[in-house]
Amino acid sequence: MNQTNESTLDAVGRRGALSYEFERQGSRTVLARSSCSSPWHHFPPSYLDDSGCAYTWLVNPSGGLVGGDHVSIEAQLHTGTHVLMTSPSANRVYRSLAEPAVQEVRLSVGPDARLEWVPEVTIPFAGSRFRQSIHVDLAPGATAVLWDTMASGRVAKQERWAFASVENEICIRGLAPPSSAVPVPFLPVRVPFLPARGQPSRRAPVPGSVPWSVVERYCLVPGSLPAPLGLVENWDYVASFFVIGDAVGAEVWKHLDEVLAAIMEQRSGPVLGGVSTLAAPGLVVKLVARSAPDLTEMLEAIWGAVRANLWNLPLPNLRRY
Amino acid sequence: MERGSPRNTMNTFALLNGLRFIDSFFPSGGYAFSSGLEAAVQGGAVRNAEELSRYVVESLTIGMGEREAVAVGLAHDAVVSGSLEIAFKADLELEAMKLGRESRIASRQMGRQVIRLAAEQHPGHPLLEDYLAAVEAGRSPGHMAVCLGLTLSAAGWSKEDSIASFLYQAATGFVAAAMKLLPIGQREGQKLLEGWIEVLERVSKQAAQQRELRSWSPIQDIYAMKHSRLESRLFRS
Repeated sequence: MNQTNESTLDAVGRRGALSYEFERQGSRTVLARSSCSSPWHHFPPSYLDDSGCAYTWLVNPSGGLVGGDHVSIEAQLHTGTHVLMTSPSANRVYRSLAEPAVQEVRLSVGPDARLEWVPEVTIPFAGSRFRQSIHVDLAPGATAVLWDTMASGRVAKQERWAFASVENEICIRGLAPPSSAVPVPFLPVRVPFLPARGQPSRRAPVPGSVPWSVVERYCLVPGSLPAPLGLVENWDYVASFFVIGDAVGAEVWKHLDEVLAAIMEQRSGPVLGGVSTLAAPGLVVKLVARSAPDLTEMLEAIWGAVRANLWNLPLPNLRRY
Repeated sequence: MERGSPRNTMNTFALLNGLRFIDSFFPSGGYAFSSGLEAAVQGGAVRNAEELSRYVVESLTIGMGEREAVAVGLAHDAVVSGSLEIAFKADLELEAMKLGRESRIASRQMGRQVIRLAAEQHPGHPLLEDYLAAVEAGRSPGHMAVCLGLTLSAAGWSKEDSIASFLYQAATGFVAAAMKLLPIGQREGQKLLEGWIEVLERVSKQAAQQRELRSWSPIQDIYAMKHSRLESRLFRS
């Protein structure tokens, strides 16, 4: 390949932004404002049940991301809203010779709002380069459920752990009230929440509130690792599940911790998982699974338990298939 | 052994002053923690020296080798620059990134022991006293990596040596735990450590250049989370 062609390929890539703003109207969460640019396709939220939750599909009809793509998703959930964001199919990341495909997500969850971020799995193809960041700001009383999972590659083609690089950063931040029993440390910087447009819907931080954050950040370059890949090479799916917020007390988290641990114990073998309390009000589940059905079954079990224990709601039928 | 030729890279006073804090004789309580290894052994993921080496090397390279090792270096920078801000930030990052409760608490307990004794025994070093005050007041978590980085820097150790010594004490902790959990003897333990020395040197060099904390050790993280639910336990993590 000559230099010109290489440069042309390097320049391939689209910049697309998807932006949503949700408000509460009566018992429902409604879309107040939105904007969208290619490759994103705008779909208004739908209502699959009578909970008032706005079910929102993140649709990229191009089929996946190529090197040089830079796509972003931004959402603001105002007071008391409930939004579930998901995708209709796996996020495929294609081989890239140079530039990574970049996906940036910024989610701001207002007071007493509920966010459920449950996209389908990311599949990094052989030779692909992917960089993702998911930043979530939680106001007092808000709750976030966040699921993020990666496949080892196109498993059916025996293409496992053959991507060039995957960088991922999940950062969830919030404020704990001064009297909080949560053992959070002092943070000498004020947490900069995204400014709200329209009417002021944010509850002002209580003086003396204690900021907290939970971060998962990794950069995986299989080619740079000592062969074999490591203990994870026997697994094909790696997932993180966070459920965080100060809307419920410590006793609820303790009970949920035991429930989730029991679920994982029942399914040990095809799935290996652990649950722990965080340095913030909430829980994390780390999982590895041998197959997509195993992973899906586990997600449904733990997500269902979270919905039932926190909100007395059943799992929604997302009607993907 | 080419690199082992004698050179005066650290004076004896500095060496001994820092060595105390990574010696197994130091009362950090590290002997009580296995960093998830006990759960991995009971779960069948680590059954022999070869599997132990795989578990540990992965942790020392892209697990704590890119997270705690970097935090040690940043804490070292803080002492050199005379400002603790960067150490506070690294400490909070560790608190946010160490997702497993037992691992987080173990790191804080060991760190507090280090900074308490270091501040007490280096009265001329106000930065250590200031850091201890912040930890005691609950304004900073006091993770082991940060407290050891501050202490060794104050003792006169170089950044790379400080990082390497942190990784070395973590490696010896794994071997010590493994000798109680697996059919591994003293000689095999020493052989494992010898095999990891080159890895520790390489990782220390890399971590000294890195500013951002990150970590990839999902299996070790999962076993560390599972540890608290083991029916019988020798270790506290």
